Amino acid sequence: MTPGTEPMPQVIFGLDPMWFAGGLFFLTYILIMTERVNRAIVAMAAAALMILGGVLTQEAAVRGVDFNTLGLLTGMMIIVSITRKSGVFQYVAIWSAKRVDARPWGILVVLVLVTAVLSALLDNVTTVLLIAPVTLLIADELKVSPYPYLFTEIFASNVGGAATLIGDPPNIMIGSAVGLGFNDFLFNLGPIVLLILPMLLIPFYLLWGRKLETTPERRLKVMRYEESDAIKDKRLLVQSLGVLALVIAGFILGHDLGYQPATIAMFGASLLLLITNFPRKASEQSKEVDRTLADVEWITIFFFIGLFIVVYGVESTGLLELVAHQVIGLTGGDMAVTTITILWVSAIVSALVDNIPFVATMIPLIENMGSMLGDQESMTPLWWSLALGSCLGGNGSLIGASANLIVAGFAERAGHPIRFLPFMMIAFPLMLMTVLISSVYVYLRYL
Amino acid sequence: MSARSIMDPNPTVLHPDDHIRTAAQYVMENRYRRIPVVDDDGRFVGVFGVNCLLRLVLPHAAIMENGLESVHFARETLADLYRRYCENSDMEIALCMDKEDVETVGPDTPLLEAVLILYRTKASLPVVDPETGKLVGVISYWDLGEKVLAEGGKNDAGN
Repeated sequence: MTPGTEPMPQVIFGLDPMWFAGGLFFLTYILIMTERVNRAIVAMAAAALMILGGVLTQEAAVRGVDFNTLGLLTGMMIIVSITRKSGVFQYVAIWSAKRVDARPWGILVVLVLVTAVLSALLDNVTTVLLIAPVTLLIADELKVSPYPYLFTEIFASNVGGAATLIGDPPNIMIGSAVGLGFNDFLFNLGPIVLLILPMLLIPFYLLWGRKLETTPERRLKVMRYEESDAIKDKRLLVQSLGVLALVIAGFILGHDLGYQPATIAMFGASLLLLITNFPRKASEQSKEVDRTLADVEWITIFFFIGLFIVVYGVESTGLLELVAHQVIGLTGGDMAVTTITILWVSAIVSALVDNIPFVATMIPLIENMGSMLGDQESMTPLWWSLALGSCLGGNGSLIGASANLIVAGFAERAGHPIRFLPFMMIAFPLMLMTVLISSVYVYLRYL
Repeated sequence: MSARSIMDPNPTVLHPDDHIRTAAQYVMENRYRRIPVVDDDGRFVGVFGVNCLLRLVLPHAAIMENGLESVHFARETLADLYRRYCENSDMEIALCMDKEDVETVGPDTPLLEAVLILYRTKASLPVVDPETGKLVGVISYWDLGEKVLAEGGKNDAGN
């Protein structure tokens, strides 16, 4: 995927390719930000225009699509869609709530931890879709406001997602483009996530924790929950957790053997589909497989496809190389300054716009900067900065990450809406705090 | 023939300001599945019925969009359900009636189409004037059944 090798573009009406591609890219960004048109439609239409306009041939456009990212996302979505039917995620949430005797602050802490761990292993949107309803039920039983719980779960999902290769789409994209594996992410970003989570609990406690109160009778209602009854299908539980464990082992061991994450995730998905469908009749199988495949978030997948093509088109015109020169000029080519700048800029941009298009653009930009800054090896701090900034930045505002909006939807339906500005007043400073901690970490460890 | 010919033109209706407690009593005593709700001008605004009542005794987290898929783990008694019902029973029905996605027909909807919609809806069907939005009648299983069976009587008389 070196765009320099693409043939010189012949853009319609004799327009300058750089201007045409740059303009289309800018328009795409604006349209995605306004949310007036669904983001998958925007990205697909823009990708088609990039080809019709003559910036890319269709063959070149396909080369720009990172199928490793797509395969990893799709495979994990299939595995999670089957696993969640076993009821295991509800089980974990209720089990952990009972371990703290259903005390309101204790529940907040354990749900933050559960959300963070699940976000590290599943995607954030799925995690909050699984945890938020249980949270609302428990808050309802305890007669406490669900607001602090949902607020802190947003933070936990974005912070937890930063810890692994598969936790958040930016990490998947970075890992895939740069060839960083599951272990690389876990060993480099895991420690800082483990540091940030407990640090966040301090402001959470000061803001809400000391005011959360309930009665012993209400706690008893939660204590009476039978978490083992949340498991709806024991066989499915064993099968799906077995495959999930196998897939994670595959991510850990496969990198050194040269297996890409998409291969492992897709193999896991097909294995789980096979063992759960094998006993069924052919007609039932096709219905069941149809249902499972429909659970894949196709909007996200098509959004990615379109976006990869648009960014590749821009890159092939040399525009990103030009911008990379400008950035290097601004930071004086100093590695430390560049690394910390990327961290902060990524965080602030990701707080305000979708981090997926941002990271898709930053990856080729940083690759271009790499050829000016030094060898591939010394580049890694830049990637950790991009990953941390774009994942943690998602906490900065309600629109910073899709999981935030999903949680806000739950809060709204529960009658405790999370509003844009009040959220940002607390979330933005807290996000800056996490980025500050990350800056110190990145500086001490890599610079 | 159209929906008009099989509807009850003077159906029982509720008002959006009615309290849930009163409406519930009415629904239970008369075993109505659901009753149309109309505002002061006679405009159709929604339906209230047993489904709304079930919703009131279930935890909110289970019935909301994307809510809990199952509550198998919870242990509750009738007293818990009653307590949950009481928390809401002083509300006006406007706050808990079904408003969106309520299937209705117009008075001029062809007979067979109206019957098909009735079959798919599985509950009495409000007949709403598409121009004014006013409720002009209700098609119930029982009215329809009586009218269809009455055809047999006519034939017998003819013979």
